[in-house]
Amino acid sequence: MSATLTQKPAASSAPPQAPAVGHSGPSDSGQRNQGTTAVLAFLRTAAVSAGSGVWKAAGILAFLALWELGPTYLASPSTRVFLPPLHEVLAAWSKLYDAGSIQGHLAASLTRSVSGFGAALVAGVSLGLLIAWYGRLNSVLNPLLELFRNTAALALLPVFTLLLGIGEESKISIVAYAAFFPVLLNTIAGVKTVDPLLIRAAKSLGLSSLALFRKVILPSAVPTIFTGIRMAGTASILVLIAAEMVGAKAGLGYLIVNAQSSFLIPDMYAGILTVSILGLAVNFLLVALERHFSRWRTAVGAGS
Amino acid sequence: MTAKISLRNVTKQFTVRAGKGSKAASGSQAGTGSGTGSGNGSKQPTVLTALESLSLDVRDGEFLTLVGPSGSGKTTLLDLLAGLSTPTSGEVLVDGQPVLGPGKDRAVVFQQYALFPWRTASANVSIGLEGKATDGRRLTRRERAAKASEYLKLVGLAGFEDRYPHELSGGMKQRVAIARSLAYEPDVLLMDEPFAALDAQTREQLQDELLRIWRATGKTIVFITHGIDEAVYLGQRVAVLSARPGRLKEIVEVDIPDRDGDEDIRSHPAFVEQRHKVWTLLHDEVRLAQDAGHRKILPDGTAPDEPAGNESTLERSAA
Repeated sequence: MSATLTQKPAASSAPPQAPAVGHSGPSDSGQRNQGTTAVLAFLRTAAVSAGSGVWKAAGILAFLALWELGPTYLASPSTRVFLPPLHEVLAAWSKLYDAGSIQGHLAASLTRSVSGFGAALVAGVSLGLLIAWYGRLNSVLNPLLELFRNTAALALLPVFTLLLGIGEESKISIVAYAAFFPVLLNTIAGVKTVDPLLIRAAKSLGLSSLALFRKVILPSAVPTIFTGIRMAGTASILVLIAAEMVGAKAGLGYLIVNAQSSFLIPDMYAGILTVSILGLAVNFLLVALERHFSRWRTAVGAGS
Repeated sequence: MTAKISLRNVTKQFTVRAGKGSKAASGSQAGTGSGTGSGNGSKQPTVLTALESLSLDVRDGEFLTLVGPSGSGKTTLLDLLAGLSTPTSGEVLVDGQPVLGPGKDRAVVFQQYALFPWRTASANVSIGLEGKATDGRRLTRRERAAKASEYLKLVGLAGFEDRYPHELSGGMKQRVAIARSLAYEPDVLLMDEPFAALDAQTREQLQDELLRIWRATGKTIVFITHGIDEAVYLGQRVAVLSARPGRLKEIVEVDIPDRDGDEDIRSHPAFVEQRHKVWTLLHDEVRLAQDAGHRKILPDGTAPDEPAGNESTLERSAA
């Protein structure tokens, strides 16, 4: 074993062999191996801890590298115009940032999505609780909700524009519409899937209907509701960008479309990059919130 | 001796949606209403009699254990006592008053602990204290926490106030559940196979703890179990139910001398004899129940295991 190691002292091949060295080291001519064993063990633990991060980053890095090098070396000159390498996009982004225009568009988009999302949240949760609590309401509204839910929000964009104009109202409304259904349906599901045993326990403890709702049904539904909220967050950004592309004077969707029609291709990509980072940030925030409110849930499946 | 709890000719029938009837019945109401196959229209509902003209008196301060084959209506009986459901006929009296619903004079301990997973042990114990007390006074947060600590200490869980249920073992969870039931000081403790999900060692430990708590507090305890040993070990009397429809088959007075001593009661000749008596009573019933294929009826009136066999086919051909 140590013979193979001395023949191939390359550091790259060492980590997988480290355990073998540890075993054979003391027995045969191991005075040199003692030192290397410690170093290799350190490298191994470092590699393991860094490994998961590296693997996670590897995909992104490879994509960015492809973006940077691909247009220059692989694409034909005519395609290159429409697919500028990464550094040009970043340069365009920082120029837009310095001019303050990206902040302006981002603020416009955020205002719309936050107001629409907020409205959807309030309406979705409260209506969902009502529907789930009153079974009759559910049987009346359920077919209708199915119909609306399966109508793509963007298909209704012309309707919203006709009724509410091309101003803020129509965009906020369509965002609210798109975000409403995930919240509503998950709220209903969350309330309906409360463990019946917990309801029995609460009743046996003499809790009134209202207390039962507030102390048992609501907290137990919170994790499911949050899943809906997270889905709504994604949906609201998606729909907002599309709405801004159709008719707006500001916002990230407008930035992208406007840059395209003005043939400022790097600017367009800068806008797209901002959208994806915004989406990531929103999702990250909502996941963190969800985790915070569902701490108790993590071990429920395993615990009981 | 006065009767703390009296059951007078109690009959309880369920309308059961047989077969795959576990489809979203709104879990808030027990299936006494007309659940006329709303889930799956093709299946006709069947009427099952869980308990039939059962009469039973539980004395004040007594520890009564209840055994019966699977499907003999033990849990149904407990639900009636708890006020979670109402009898089809007959009456359930506690302190001479008919039971109209759940009340602070009775507490239930469930087999699956039924702790609220988003509440800490302390908050779980104090949930029954959050409403108005019987004297109309509301406890402050601090008073509730103090009381919760007191009862957690009683069940041997001092120092675990801030743990969430998922951080506790099965035995500890059941201790919390017992503390929760004791905390609002009910007279009657209703226990539905509370130790069935625990390992043998923890179970024995909790049995002894329960006896200690019972002696210390003087509660009336109705304890459902499928363990004959457990029934004889814990109970002053063992009520044996028959196979479905559940009737009271016999009450066995457990008389073991020197019960409070340190000796191993389980190997005492008297214990062995009583155990054998209950076993014999139960044995025939268990076989009867198995032959009839009786399975559990869930609290919401569904019987997921119930084969769509003899009874339901009869019903359907009649309809």
